Amino acid sequence: MSAATEAPLLELDGLVTEFRTGGAWHAALRGVSFALARNETLALVGESGCGKSVTALSIMGLLPPANSRIAAGRIRFAGRDLVGLSEEAMRKLRGNEISMIFQEPMTSLNPVLTVGFQVAESLRYHRGMEGQAARRAALELLDQVKIPAAAQRFDDYPHQFSGGMRQRVMIAMALACRPKLLLADEPTTALDVTIQAQVLALLAELKSAYGMAMIFITHNLGVVASIADRVAVMYAGAIVETAAVDELFARPTHPYTEALLRTIPRVDEDSAGLAAIPGQVPPLSAMPPGCRFAPRCALREAECEATDPALAPLPAAADHRVRCRVRAPATAAPRHA
Amino acid sequence: MIGYIVKRLLLAVPTLWAVLTIVFVLARVLPGDPAQTILGDQATQEALVAMRHRLGTDKPIAEQYADFLANAVRGRWGDSLVTGKPVLEEVGKVLPYSIDLTVSAIVLGALIGVPLGTWSALHRNAAFDYIARLGSLLGLSFPAFVSAIMLLLAFAIELRWFPVIGAGGSGPWERLRAITLPTVNLGIIMAAYVTRVTRSSMLEVLGEDYIRTARAKGVPSRVILWRHALRNALIPVVTVVGLYLGILIGNSVLTEIVFNRSGLGKLIVSALDQRDYTVLQGMMVVYAFAIVLVNLLTDLTYGFIDPRIKRQ
Repeated sequence: MSAATEAPLLELDGLVTEFRTGGAWHAALRGVSFALARNETLALVGESGCGKSVTALSIMGLLPPANSRIAAGRIRFAGRDLVGLSEEAMRKLRGNEISMIFQEPMTSLNPVLTVGFQVAESLRYHRGMEGQAARRAALELLDQVKIPAAAQRFDDYPHQFSGGMRQRVMIAMALACRPKLLLADEPTTALDVTIQAQVLALLAELKSAYGMAMIFITHNLGVVASIADRVAVMYAGAIVETAAVDELFARPTHPYTEALLRTIPRVDEDSAGLAAIPGQVPPLSAMPPGCRFAPRCALREAECEATDPALAPLPAAADHRVRCRVRAPATAAPRHA
Repeated sequence: MIGYIVKRLLLAVPTLWAVLTIVFVLARVLPGDPAQTILGDQATQEALVAMRHRLGTDKPIAEQYADFLANAVRGRWGDSLVTGKPVLEEVGKVLPYSIDLTVSAIVLGALIGVPLGTWSALHRNAAFDYIARLGSLLGLSFPAFVSAIMLLLAFAIELRWFPVIGAGGSGPWERLRAITLPTVNLGIIMAAYVTRVTRSSMLEVLGEDYIRTARAKGVPSRVILWRHALRNALIPVVTVVGLYLGILIGNSVLTEIVFNRSGLGKLIVSALDQRDYTVLQGMMVVYAFAIVLVNLLTDLTYGFIDPRIKRQ
């Protein structure tokens, strides 16, 4: 990043997050690096277990301390390194400058507290708002996320809301303190298709209204095109391809990205069935030594199974980077083993 | 809420009716003639007939059943065969002592058990957790009469802090002193149960998505614990406290005997000892009623804790 351009809001540099299973530490993220500008939306895409959510939780500092740790790397947010920040300092950031919404609206709200109370809570702990002021502000938020008759529903409990409405409440909660960064972890996956579109439209609208940067985590590439500026495809704890959204859809280069795109069912083509990527993401404790995707890759060469390639820019587009020694032969040695 | 209470009370009516019926049947299938029991072996035939007439046992069984139910509803549970006083009066005399002891044991158990279980869950697998779990296991496996005797030896006889026997005099201070050791005895067992349930329930709740949401909002961990987690974790605790009442009835019999305290437990034991059938009948109804009442309170507490239950 040159001095002339604005410093990124969020910058991950070689982030390695490890989990302890069976007494040994295994890397769930193995050197994730990306930068996110203000107002930019980055889509993190990949299959379950590829490290998307772990990336978000690492940024939030919400990983369980008992069996997880950030072993290396930095998370620079608005000029501060979040790795090693005290829990109290992280608490002040969470819900205030960085917010997160989760996949499961049905279980992500506390069943014994009213919806209004839960929305007002962020305001209480970050803005010191109490009583009527907090209530008014929370009500306004519920209006903004388009909850019908918000004033009447303020004192209702989560079980009286539908899934889509609960996700709106989650969004209201996350946006209460006008965060600079929103982490949306598959926010529409658990919703009906029609509701998905509404929630996506709402997120896009609020994002531009609030001027937030957003990391949008999904395994649904169809959603990505409509909401993201840039895409990072993750596989087995590493980014395997990143590019501007149009560039990625026009020129998917990593074999995994290609395979992911093929899995989107198309209505304009006859096909015998749904395309699937054969095999599965290897478990943390049994990662192949070379390219993590090699065992499932059609383009696999002998060398792929021996060395892990680095994320290298394509000659045609420097901003389009791919981790594949077949498709994007790199000159550099792998940075993170 | 009031509709809910009324509904629950109406549901208790068939339960109580069933209990009364069982009590009635039990009293009739037991061998022996109550009139004979009251008057003794040497009674004349005339006296027996007169007594049967007085007791109503000479009437047809259906009529007896109708009388029994009608009397039970009106609070006429007959007279004690030993003292000749109405059963209700006998029960009423000792009931306050039992309520004192039960309530204070439950309060003590909850006051110790809930924080201990919560703390244990928070420090899972740390030294404190092991100590708390070991301690609660000890509390669960210790017979109430043994711990009662140990408490007596230590605090009443050696240290002389508390009276050895009795329920205390008239003054509140005396009553408090007298109830302390029995309460500790029952409360510690109670605390052991509550600690274990609170711990496991808390561990489950702390792993829920909404706790992560609260953390993601930047809610301080102390608030997450007490406001977000504990209320959700309390439902199984309330269940156990409710169920524990049944165990408490058993343990309070022993405790009342060891501390020579009056109460339902002692009354039922002496009634059994002296074959005082009418008192036994009355006590069965009282216990059944107590259990029904506790279940009602438990359900109401659920509704108070969890809004989802109230609406159903």
